[in-house]
Formats: sequence, C-alpha cells, structure tokens
Amino acid sequence: MKLEEVKPGQEVTILSFSGKESILEKVQAMGLRKGRRVALLQKLGRNLLLKVDNSRIVISKELAKNIEVQ
Amino acid sequence: MKSIRVALVGNPNVGKTSILNHLAGTSLKVGNWPGVTVEKREGKVNFWNYEINLVDLPGIYTLEPISDDEWVAYNYLRNEKPDLILNIIETPNMERDFLLTVELLEQELPMVLVLNMSDEAQKLGIDVKDKWLSEILGVRVLRTNGRTGEGVKALLPNIVEVFNSKERPNPLKYSKELEEFLEKVREREDETKAELIKKLLEDERFKDYRESIRKIFGKNMHEVIKDERYATAHGIYKEVVHRKPLTSRDITDSIDKILLHPWLGIPIFLLVMFFVFKISFDFSAPFMDWIEGFINGFVAPLAVEVLTYLGAGELIKRVVSEALIGGVGFVLTFLPLIAVIYFMLSLLEFSGYLPRIAFLMDKFMHRLGLHGKSLVPLLLGFGCNVPAIVATRTLETRRDKLLVIAMIPFMSCPARLVVFSFFAVIFFKNPALVIFSLYLLGIVVALITALILRKSLFKGSLYHFVMELPPYRLPTLRLLLRVVWVYVKDFLYRAGTLIFAASVVIWLLLNLPPGVKNPSESIAGYIGKSIAPLFAPLGLEDWRMSTSLIPAFLAREIVLSSMATIYAAESKEEQKEFNPSQALKDQGLSLLLAFKEAFTNIFKPVPTAFEVKEESADSLRSVIAKSLSPSSALAFMIFLLLYTSCLGTVATMWREVGKRFALLFLAYSLLIGWFLGFLVYRLGSLLWST
Repeated sequence: MKLEEVKPGQEVTILSFSGKESILEKVQAMGLRKGRRVALLQKLGRNLLLKVDNSRIVISKELAKNIEVQ
Repeated sequence: MKSIRVALVGNPNVGKTSILNHLAGTSLKVGNWPGVTVEKREGKVNFWNYEINLVDLPGIYTLEPISDDEWVAYNYLRNEKPDLILNIIETPNMERDFLLTVELLEQELPMVLVLNMSDEAQKLGIDVKDKWLSEILGVRVLRTNGRTGEGVKALLPNIVEVFNSKERPNPLKYSKELEEFLEKVREREDETKAELIKKLLEDERFKDYRESIRKIFGKNMHEVIKDERYATAHGIYKEVVHRKPLTSRDITDSIDKILLHPWLGIPIFLLVMFFVFKISFDFSAPFMDWIEGFINGFVAPLAVEVLTYLGAGELIKRVVSEALIGGVGFVLTFLPLIAVIYFMLSLLEFSGYLPRIAFLMDKFMHRLGLHGKSLVPLLLGFGCNVPAIVATRTLETRRDKLLVIAMIPFMSCPARLVVFSFFAVIFFKNPALVIFSLYLLGIVVALITALILRKSLFKGSLYHFVMELPPYRLPTLRLLLRVVWVYVKDFLYRAGTLIFAASVVIWLLLNLPPGVKNPSESIAGYIGKSIAPLFAPLGLEDWRMSTSLIPAFLAREIVLSSMATIYAAESKEEQKEFNPSQALKDQGLSLLLAFKEAFTNIFKPVPTAFEVKEESADSLRSVIAKSLSPSSALAFMIFLLLYTSCLGTVATMWREVGKRFALLFLAYSLLIGWFLGFLVYRLGSLLWST
C-alpha cells in the first residue's frame, strides 16, 4: 500500500519510491529509505508525522503517495 | 599567525550553532550569504599561534542541493574549499547523518568528525565504537555535548594538528565496477572522488560510460551513485554502532503526545503565542520608555550644558542634542524589544517547539498559500513590525520569507492604534468598531498582497512540506544570551545606522533653512505644501496634514505630536533648569522603576501593549475636529494603516531582503494606502452627505 494510507500507530517497511520529484531525494537523505521501518505517529491536516530510527519527520500526504510500504 | 578556514557541516538540528557558539564565543557574527536570504554565521578563535576562522554552513542532509540553503553549503564546499571540514553528527541519528559524511569524504578535504549529543545517544542505548570509526575513516573522532559545551574546546588542538599534518581521510572504496569507471574519467592525479563522480554523471564526453553503467548495474548512473553512498553509510554504521534494546521511554514522544495533540495542540499553541507576545512587548516596554527618557531627559540636556560651557552656537547645540542624540536614542529604543523577542524566538527554536508550530498550523496556513511557520512572524507583527520581519529568518525558503515580509507591514501595530484611537474617538460614535475594521482591513490587504505575489512573482514555485522535528531540548541560558547578543549587535550595526541616518535627515528637513521658527517655513513645510494636492482626493488638501506625515515617517505615532506643533495647538514646552547630579539620580530611580514595571507587567492578564496612552492635549482634538470630515479622517487612518510610515520597518526590510525590495514595497504601500483611502473617502462622502 501507499504510505499515505497507513494508520496512526502502525509501523511499516518502505518498499519503493515512485515519481521523479527531486524532493524525494531529500526525503531519502532524511532517512526514509528502502527497507527502513517507519512508524506513523500522527496525521494532521495535509501532513504525516513519521518516526524513523530516532528522528521525527514530517512529510505531506501528497508526497507520501509516492512511497510504497508494507 | 597562520589562519585556518574551518567549515561546520552537518544535518539540520545537529547542534552546529551551539558548537559554534561555544567555540567562537563573543566573536560570533551573523549576516547573509551573498545573493540569498540564508543566514551566515561566522566566528573566529585564536588558538596556539593560529587564527581559526569558523563558518557555519546551513544544515543539509545531502550534497545534492535543491533549496537556497542547500545551494549555499554546496557552493561553499565546491568553490571555497575550506582547509578543514568539521562534520557534526547527531549521534542518536548516526546512520542517517553518515550519508552526508560519505559525501563529504568524497571531497577529500581534511576532516574532523564530531559526535554531538552523545549523552542523548547513550540514554537511547546507542553505543559507538569511536576508535574503530576513526580507524575506518582515517579521521579523528571527538565527542561533544553541544548543550553544555562539554568536549567542545578539545576540538581546537585537533583542528590545528590535522591542519598541520595535512592528514587526509582514507579514500572511500565503492564497488569494484564503479571504481573502475571513476578511474577511466580521471584526467589529473589530484582529482577528488567528488569531481570524478560529477564528471561521470554530467560530462557530455562520458555519455558512453553512463550507458555501459546502465547495462552493467541495471539502473542509471545517478541511482548507482546514490545506492553506493547509502550502502557505504549503512556499512560504516553497522561496523561501529551497537544498539542495546531500549528500556526507557523517549521523553520527546511523551511531550509530543500533549503539544501535538489533535485537539489540545492548537489551543496550547495559542496560549504559548499569547505569552511570547505578552512577555516580549510588556517586558520590554518599560525599558524602551526609560531609554527614551534617559536620552531626551538626561543625555540631550547634558550635551547642551556642555556645549554651552564650550561656547557653542544655538544651531550646533540643537543639531547635537536633537538630531544626533535624538537619532541615536531612536535607534536605542528598539533595543529592549529586539533583545527580548530574539530571546523568546531563540527559546522556541532551540527547545524544538518552533518547527512543531509549523506542523500544527500548516493546515490553516496552507489554505492561505503559506507555510505553517509563517504564522509566528505574522502574529508578532501585531506587536511591532520590526522584530516580526527579523523573525522571518526562521523560514527556510526565500519565497516564504519574501511573502511573509510583504504581509507583515499590514499587521497593525500599537503605534497605529495610538493614531486610530485619537481619530476614531473624535469622529465616530463607535470607535471600537472602526478600529477593529481597520485591523481587519490590514489583514485583508496582507492576504491580497500575498495572493498577488503568489500569482505573479512566485508562480509555480510549488513546494512540499518536508521537515524534521528535533527532540525537545532545554537550551542553557548562556547559549540563549549569546545568541541574543549576536543578533542585537547585528541589528544595531545594520538597521541602526540606516535608522540613525534617516532620522537625522528628517530632523534637518524640519529645521532648515537655519532660523526657522515654525514648520511651515522649513523644507518639510515646502514639501508638505507641494504634495498637498496629491492628498486632496482623500479629502486631505490641508498642507498641515501632508506636512505632518513627513516626520511621521520615523514612526506613525509621531504624526500626533507633529500635528500638534504644525497646527500650533500646543505651546512649546518651557525650558527647565537642568541639574546633572539630580537628573542622574532621577534616571537611576526610573531605571529601577522600569525593572519593577517590567516584571509586574508579565503577571498582568491583559497585554499592556494594547493600553492606549493619551498622547496629546484636548486643544489638538478640537482643531482636528474642525478641520476634517469623518470620511477624510477615515481616509487618513486607512492611508496611515497601509503605508509603511515606519523607518524601523523599512530599514529592517532593507537589511533583510535588500534595498530594491524595501523601496518597491514602500512605493506599493503608498499606492495601495492612497488608493484605498481615496475609495473610502469617496464612498464615505456619498454616505455621510445623504
């Protein structure tokens, strides 16, 4: 499924990225990489709050549509 | 003395600023990187026989730049080639941070690795074998605690030693296939890995290599490089980090449960903002009043005494006491406000709450086409536009920064409230409603301005919301005060000089040619008379109104006192006997009172910033009541609301985003103020005449 569809409290593994936007490179550099475990802490407005390792990262739902997770 | 140029490089929120502060102490300077509105922080330390020049590069996750700040860091490393890179790593997030480390190692510059916040990592059960890390990379590894400054001083001897010995990191080894290709594009002995990769990625001559890489690896060159870097970062991480199973709960998660609560989050934010606002303005107000009193009630008369003693002429005495000392005083009155606001903002930022505001308020702000973080500067604008503009430094992109700066001057500040309440009480039965409508009009004009900018200048700059929320940290008071000092110094130097120069010019306009008795004979009077026809469509054809606007460019509330002198409704204040020792005693006493007032103000429930002070005598009221109609009074208020009649604001804008933007904006605000004033005057005349 898409990262956007994950429910708060769920933990998933990142499978792949789609889309060409350069911001996706930054997202990966921030720690959201293939194979990493990601916990969705909260959904608020148009954004998601994620926890990866020890960092908390906010990305927009729009962007999360490009991330396939399991 | 030899100098060493050191660049501090690291991910955002890893504590680079704190480390720079501990290293450089009071030599720290802030400024902007040329051409962009990205903040540049620099410092200098003398150590052994070396002058170590430190530059703090903007926080970046990777050397593949997208935004302004990322470009700044990238260009600096590529073009300026620092003597040494101080790579700062947030130990709890080492694996992520290592990507940048790998990219920095490709630069093949001397490097020192700093494991910051290692205390936090220990609490999280993260154990780092730093000796092993040092051996693998061929780089010295040191531990620091940026919050307390522990371990920071030990960086200095290591920087010097690495610089002297020309120690280079171990060369990075990517996969055999990739390394072979990299060697194929090598043309000189001394090309760095970063340069080779860039050539292989972009150079037209090596198109065929890229094709064969695609065939061998099954993905394009860009992907190959990226995956190799990630793999290397991950490999190093696995080698040197040992994780114990977590036992304690993360405090940040618990705090976030409350502060980012779906329902409680926003009310808590509003409460926090209320206190930030209240403390900023109420705490500084007594000190601002005191500085004004001290300058005008003590320093200026003292200067006159001294000059009289020296036998100076009347004109010189007035130039010194009114223009020079008055100008300095005008700059200094901003000082307490700027300092306190910086303190509050730094506290919000260093504690980790500021980025959370962006997350919380993004839903609301996004509807207006703005970033969640923009809300804080806009709210501060209701207190004073000057620090509000300064506060936009927390916005990351130039687009957001310019948008918000173009909105702030329309947020009505207490200086405008003073003028509004004077006029509204004279001309309207329901002054509160009039004033409220004016505030609202300001907000509407701000939104329209933002909309126009978004549809024209900033068209298509679509942005995604991506940011990191750092863990909550309690900054030390020493760190906060140092940061405040650095900014205050910068404000005094850059905005202060502009404000000072302009206030002297305005004084000269009002007092030249020499010997003028009243403003109508001065240059300002002539200007006022010649521009009066321009204001006739607003129902303000009286030259006395237009002339009073000239000194009011310093600050809006001055319009009342200048009207009073120009309409000659107030007699000149009588000269008082000046006794230096008695006056000094009085000033000391009032400083004590200011302290007392500042602290008691904090505990008052309502912000005292909004208590309107009576500034002028009744005589002015009656003159004004006779010389204006309600609709022209309204037009005047609207004009003064919208036109940036505030030297501090224009100077700060000038400093933050440049001369062109500041002057264009001033012209825009004049036009829109005039136009809406005109519109309201015409409509009002129709309404009131029927």
